[in-house]
Amino acid sequence: MAILISFDIDGTLEVGDPPGVLTMELVRKTQEAGIIVGSCSDRPISGQRAIWEKHGIAYDFAVSKHQLSDVKAKFEADVYYHIGDREDLDKQYALAAGFEFFWPDEAVSEPWLK
Amino acid sequence: MATENAPASMYRTTEGLGVWEHKGKVAAVGVGHSPTTRRWDGTAENTMGANSIFALRQAIADAGVDPSQIDGLVLDPVTTTGAHWPEGDPIPMDVVNAYNQTDDPLDGIAKLSAEWILKNMPELSNVKFTMYGPGCMSHAIVVAAQAVGEGRTHTCLVLKSWHNLEGRYNQAGISASESVPGSFAMAPGRTLWGAPGSYGTALQFAEYCRKYGKSHDMMAPFMSNSRRNGLLFPEGYWAQHRPEHLTEEDYLNARWIAKPANLFDNDIPIMVSGAYLFTTAERAKDMKQKPVYIINHASSRGTQRSILPTLDEVEAETASTGRKIYEGAGITAADLSFENMYDGFALFHQFHLEGLRYRGMQNGDALDFYQKDISIEGPDPVLPSGGNIGSGRSRFWMHTDCIQQIQGRAGARTITGVKPEIGVSGGPMPMGGNFTVWSATPD
Repeated sequence: MAILISFDIDGTLEVGDPPGVLTMELVRKTQEAGIIVGSCSDRPISGQRAIWEKHGIAYDFAVSKHQLSDVKAKFEADVYYHIGDREDLDKQYALAAGFEFFWPDEAVSEPWLK
Repeated sequence: MATENAPASMYRTTEGLGVWEHKGKVAAVGVGHSPTTRRWDGTAENTMGANSIFALRQAIADAGVDPSQIDGLVLDPVTTTGAHWPEGDPIPMDVVNAYNQTDDPLDGIAKLSAEWILKNMPELSNVKFTMYGPGCMSHAIVVAAQAVGEGRTHTCLVLKSWHNLEGRYNQAGISASESVPGSFAMAPGRTLWGAPGSYGTALQFAEYCRKYGKSHDMMAPFMSNSRRNGLLFPEGYWAQHRPEHLTEEDYLNARWIAKPANLFDNDIPIMVSGAYLFTTAERAKDMKQKPVYIINHASSRGTQRSILPTLDEVEAETASTGRKIYEGAGITAADLSFENMYDGFALFHQFHLEGLRYRGMQNGDALDFYQKDISIEGPDPVLPSGGNIGSGRSRFWMHTDCIQQIQGRAGARTITGVKPEIGVSGGPMPMGGNFTVWSATPD
């Protein structure tokens, strides 16, 4: 089953400001499992790319908050997840774009593997 | 000593006043900044008050002045970025008690009085003049300049501090209320239930684009240039915490906040304090840094006919401001080496620029101007400080940059395409603000 996971950064990933609970190792493991991964953040797109590259993670996309629907149009998957820490800027955008949504603390257990 | 707001008589608000009577007789010498942070961490050592003391001591040391020589202090007592202390939240008394208190426990945390500063800086033993210039550093500067010019103080500290608390911007205080009075909620940024703070500027910008056939995309070079300049400002937030550029792709892909104002057209609220030491031209000669002479200050107090200013009103007011700036300084637009007008929100910088007739531009010209070389290396530098876009919301990077450029202390940000001899800075809003003309020479 093809899975796509979009990660918010600030408040979600450990490298965010504020730091979130999801480690870059978790993201790397997710990507290495064949899952399509990328970021969807209010950070500049160039800054998102720089984070992935700094950590040696082969990301598939880096987009702004309102561009999740573009991601869905570009990548074929059976299920789309977005993980973020904000009701308005993560959950609402995710649901509106047809993504399923996890809070960061829910994502720690990698529920997509179950 | 009760500290009052500056009287209206200290501001130069109208055209026709002639050359400022204290032109070249007041100088900025010392500069000080606290470190920047995104929000307060709750510790006593990182309060807004602590930042204020740090910045003031930096400015004093920078000027090479014995604190006992200082006899004046001008500041803005309002320090909120939009974050308010939540009603009913306990006040951390361990933090309050770490400092000498006034009768308001939030003094030094979420507001700032001159009394609090003097109680916590015992070295300022000879301060006899205190005054508030409420609003922002632009306000405090013109009050301090006028005060030195009038002889109310001869060596005066000027301070602006900002606090930022946990939680989201402008969603506490009155924004958390069940109701607000009258038309309060209709004005930009007033409450959670009103429109975003930038919506008024966005409407003016939309009309500007329609009237002159321009587009929001044309802002991209200005935004990238401003962030670049900000990353060359070691005192700024982005340089200190997230040294990342803002490319045209980044800017054009940002989500709308109040279309056509996007995320990056809105500045980022931060904690920071900035301070300057002003003195008389005579005293400045003996201080540690090169004097930067203030050759005029001018204020804008535009009135609008409705809830939001129209483009026509904005253009008329900024043009008037430009005339006041030049008239009081006894200069013309051709004499300006550079400009550092306010940019928070980014979409009104061009109103200030066009009002100044900077490099001969007229209304509707600025976005085309942005497509040319506006870098610090070129002959037509625009916002060399990088402003709030480049370094976070302080509303004082522009003033610091003017002083440092003219003193030859702007480091990697130094303007090289033109000799920095006369600069202008100020704001905030096109319809209301305070502006200062800085010069390498008193005349």
